Amino acid sequence: MEPIEIGIWTSAGLLLMVVLGMRVAFAAGLAGFVGLVWLRWNGFDYDPARFGKSLEISVKIAGLTPHSKVSAQVLSLIPVFIMIGYLAYYAKLTTALFEAAKRWVAWVPGGLAVSTVFATAGFAAVSGASVATAAVFARIAIPEMLKIGYNKQFAAGVVAAGGTLASLIPPSAILVIYAIIVEQDVGKLLLAGFIPGAFSAIVYAILIISIAVVFKNVGPPVSGFTWKERFASLPPAMPIFAVVVIIIFFVYNPFGDAWGTPTEGGAVGAFIVFLMALYRGMRWGQLKEALLETAKLTVMIFTIIWGVLIYVRFLGFAELPEAFADWITSLEMSPLLILICILLAYAVLGMFMDAIGMLLLTLPVVYPAVMALNGGEFVSAADSAFGMSGTMCAIWFGILVVKMAEFCLITPPIGLNCFVVAGVRDDLSVQDVFKGVTPFFVADAVTIALLVAFPGIVLWLPSLAG
Amino acid sequence: MLEDSSLLSKLDRMLLPIERFCALLSGLAIFSLMFLAAYSVTGRKFFASPMMGYVDYIEAAMPIIAIMGVSYVQRDGTHIRMDMLVGNLKGRLLWLFELISILLILVLIVALTWGAWEHFDRSFDCARPLCSRDSSIDVGIPIWPSKLVVPIAFGVLVLRLLLQAWGYGRALILGLENPVAVPLNLSIAEQARLEADALEGAD
Amino acid sequence: TEWNVSVWGKRRAFTEHIEKLAELVSEKTGGDFTMNVSYGGLSKNRENLDGISIGAFEMAQFCAGYHRDKNRVVTVLELPFLGVENLEQERAVSKAVYSHPAAAEEMAQWNAKLLMTSPMPQYNLVGTGEPRDELAEFEGMRVRATGGLGQAFEAVGAVPTSVTATEAYQAMESGVVDTVAFAQHAHLSFGTINQADWWTANLNPGTVNCPVVVNIDAYESLSDEHREALDSSIEEALDHYLANYADLLKRWDSVLEEKGVQKVVLAPEVIEEFRAKAAVPIRDKWIADMEAQGLPGQELYDLVVKTLEEAKMGGS
Ligand code: NA
Ligand code: NA
Repeated sequence: MEPIEIGIWTSAGLLLMVVLGMRVAFAAGLAGFVGLVWLRWNGFDYDPARFGKSLEISVKIAGLTPHSKVSAQVLSLIPVFIMIGYLAYYAKLTTALFEAAKRWVAWVPGGLAVSTVFATAGFAAVSGASVATAAVFARIAIPEMLKIGYNKQFAAGVVAAGGTLASLIPPSAILVIYAIIVEQDVGKLLLAGFIPGAFSAIVYAILIISIAVVFKNVGPPVSGFTWKERFASLPPAMPIFAVVVIIIFFVYNPFGDAWGTPTEGGAVGAFIVFLMALYRGMRWGQLKEALLETAKLTVMIFTIIWGVLIYVRFLGFAELPEAFADWITSLEMSPLLILICILLAYAVLGMFMDAIGMLLLTLPVVYPAVMALNGGEFVSAADSAFGMSGTMCAIWFGILVVKMAEFCLITPPIGLNCFVVAGVRDDLSVQDVFKGVTPFFVADAVTIALLVAFPGIVLWLPSLAG
Repeated sequence: MLEDSSLLSKLDRMLLPIERFCALLSGLAIFSLMFLAAYSVTGRKFFASPMMGYVDYIEAAMPIIAIMGVSYVQRDGTHIRMDMLVGNLKGRLLWLFELISILLILVLIVALTWGAWEHFDRSFDCARPLCSRDSSIDVGIPIWPSKLVVPIAFGVLVLRLLLQAWGYGRALILGLENPVAVPLNLSIAEQARLEADALEGAD
Repeated sequence: TEWNVSVWGKRRAFTEHIEKLAELVSEKTGGDFTMNVSYGGLSKNRENLDGISIGAFEMAQFCAGYHRDKNRVVTVLELPFLGVENLEQERAVSKAVYSHPAAAEEMAQWNAKLLMTSPMPQYNLVGTGEPRDELAEFEGMRVRATGGLGQAFEAVGAVPTSVTATEAYQAMESGVVDTVAFAQHAHLSFGTINQADWWTANLNPGTVNCPVVVNIDAYESLSDEHREALDSSIEEALDHYLANYADLLKRWDSVLEEKGVQKVVLAPEVIEEFRAKAAVPIRDKWIADMEAQGLPGQELYDLVVKTLEEAKMGGS
């Protein structure tokens, strides 16, 4: 049998295990391990006497992968980013942000909803995970909106959608994971997330204002804050700005030399939020709880990472990614059309799968194909299909798939953010939240279309960083 | 997770503190990562004395951060999966699916424990200084302690999987409705509520 | 027979001998014996020796400095200021050490046989700011240099700072390091040359040693004809490597000019002072460490010195 056939059969087996409800990390690891044994034994022409040898070699290859793959300094960004989010909560940055946003922007039509979007965007700048953001703001923002007569479905939809912003705006665990899988510069990817993240928030805000103008009863403006009150709301939210500045300046300093590496920036940011949390009254019990929760989420993510990488190791021996890339580039379709098909496939897949699992499972095969489509990893902008160099294409595609992954957090049937919002609020069913979030699909579709049509939105900042 | 006075439940409760300890180690390692970086940056920026071997230490700590808690996460079913199908199953059929799934994971983890031990063993030779047959790139610290973390964590996970296989097997044979010592099969909505509750009580 | 070969990064001057070897072997055997060179698909570079030991693939490249305790013997070639001036000399000293029984014996513990080296030029510094051409100016300098090289800079008061090769550009841009020690091709491919104000043309502090090894079982199970094809192609592959690298070095001067990088030539006294302060104690410590572990440290070092002398007299 050809190695590629073994690759295809094993991948089909992996898919079956995932559909049947096996934990994704272990399904991938098992598929990779069994695939390695099969491939090796196939190489020995299924000689029964050499099955033991095939097994032994495969056990050793698979067994060294977890240690080998997690022992990378750049991966330390993931736990640090996750920890920032938990600590930021104990530092009470969420309420401070919402209060500040309310006093500054709630005078527009749909004011409180717009404030919620900007507050979630602000919180995204200290939180690496979307779901936590949605949970927190469901508690803070929804009651205030209901109090002044908002439609409850709409209010819930705003929070669920706003929560998705956390994965584009750095710090973002999912962008780091993408960077690691495709072996691109983490700093540039994080930098690239800023503008599309802010852009998404603005598109959301425009949508809300339009809805509020057209349907008068959706969300009245809230006015009457004095300038004094506005400025008074800023200091409690200051650590957010500190963290944003630190992360930007560690990744790229517009005024000269950057201060360090992104890994260091993340850790220093976490340290500041930690001090703030202490100041706001966090105690050992809460810290221990935060650490355990951070550890749980971290281990969960890393288990998928090494599990999938065992599978990727097998794919390397089976040469499947190369074959897929050859196939994609041989298609008689325009590269842009193929790219759009890939993004649509992610939208469908994302309806049924967790974002991180989805990206990790598909990128090893899809990413090389997209790069090949553009003309290869080392292509220059002039010779490429999408008009950008290999490095830039990697960044652009990364932002697009992460935006797709965010989109999937609010799409039925298992848009996680919607479940979280419904879980927090007794008076809301999941159907309510899905109904309320529907307008934001449109906003996301518009955002994605614009990011595809104008890659400059994504690539301007990272191209400044050289 | 339900408990009762059976041997299975007792064993489950005996394993839990070990798993919790491992997870807390992971959390503390993350916490110290933050201090290490803050210390390194401060040293470099303000005292022109960067920390030697900073990268080596972080890489050595990563297996603790990433893998040590793997059993704790398996215990309460936090490892993600697609539960469109199993979420709609009930009774014996559900326990059958769960049991098959656990046994498959067990096959993988036993293999990985063996392979991870071999990986450790290749880096370990006590005829040499510090028993080291593999060292880090910058400051040359031995790597075997970091490699040893993996088979230990997987060893604990093997125990946990054996208990879960027992639990599901028992539920399958006896046709139980609410078996002990296995993660409760939560709907997505219930999971989301738990997730939200984890953040409760801080304000 | 098809062999899997594990290397990393992308195809570059550093891997040209392997590509050439694959080409020659296939030619000589009429396509019966082929090599499938994989850039990172089969293993992480620091686990390539593990992969050979396991039998995961048949041939691999690695660098001694990645894991000194795995390959103590060949680290003699990474000692600072050995006085190697060019790639021909590097090739000669590596060959001598690889042929030493202690090297073969240590690699056999990994089921590996040393095939050939990947000669690397000296790791000269690129730096930002004012050129540093006196020993006193190395005091407090933050330098990206690993292994023995890092120790050498430390001995003259510099601070070796660990960043990965891929983070080197960023580290330099951000001022995490003032200087980076790489071979020319790495300065080009990791972009450190774009940040540089100057480059030391003749400091020649040392280099890394990156052998190509084969799995012993796989090697021995080759048919006589295939083994002969492999063995007879090694020198030719290395010739190709050197010729290719020579082209790259020729371009180097024009790159410096184009980027406006100043070529710093250090006075011989400065280099001598550096060597005395850094090289001698590190070498003595290395020999003592090796002897304490029952390895012929002194003998290996003497072998390098002798081979180098002969190579220089022979005109290379
Ligand atoms: Na974020
Ligand atoms: Na979804």
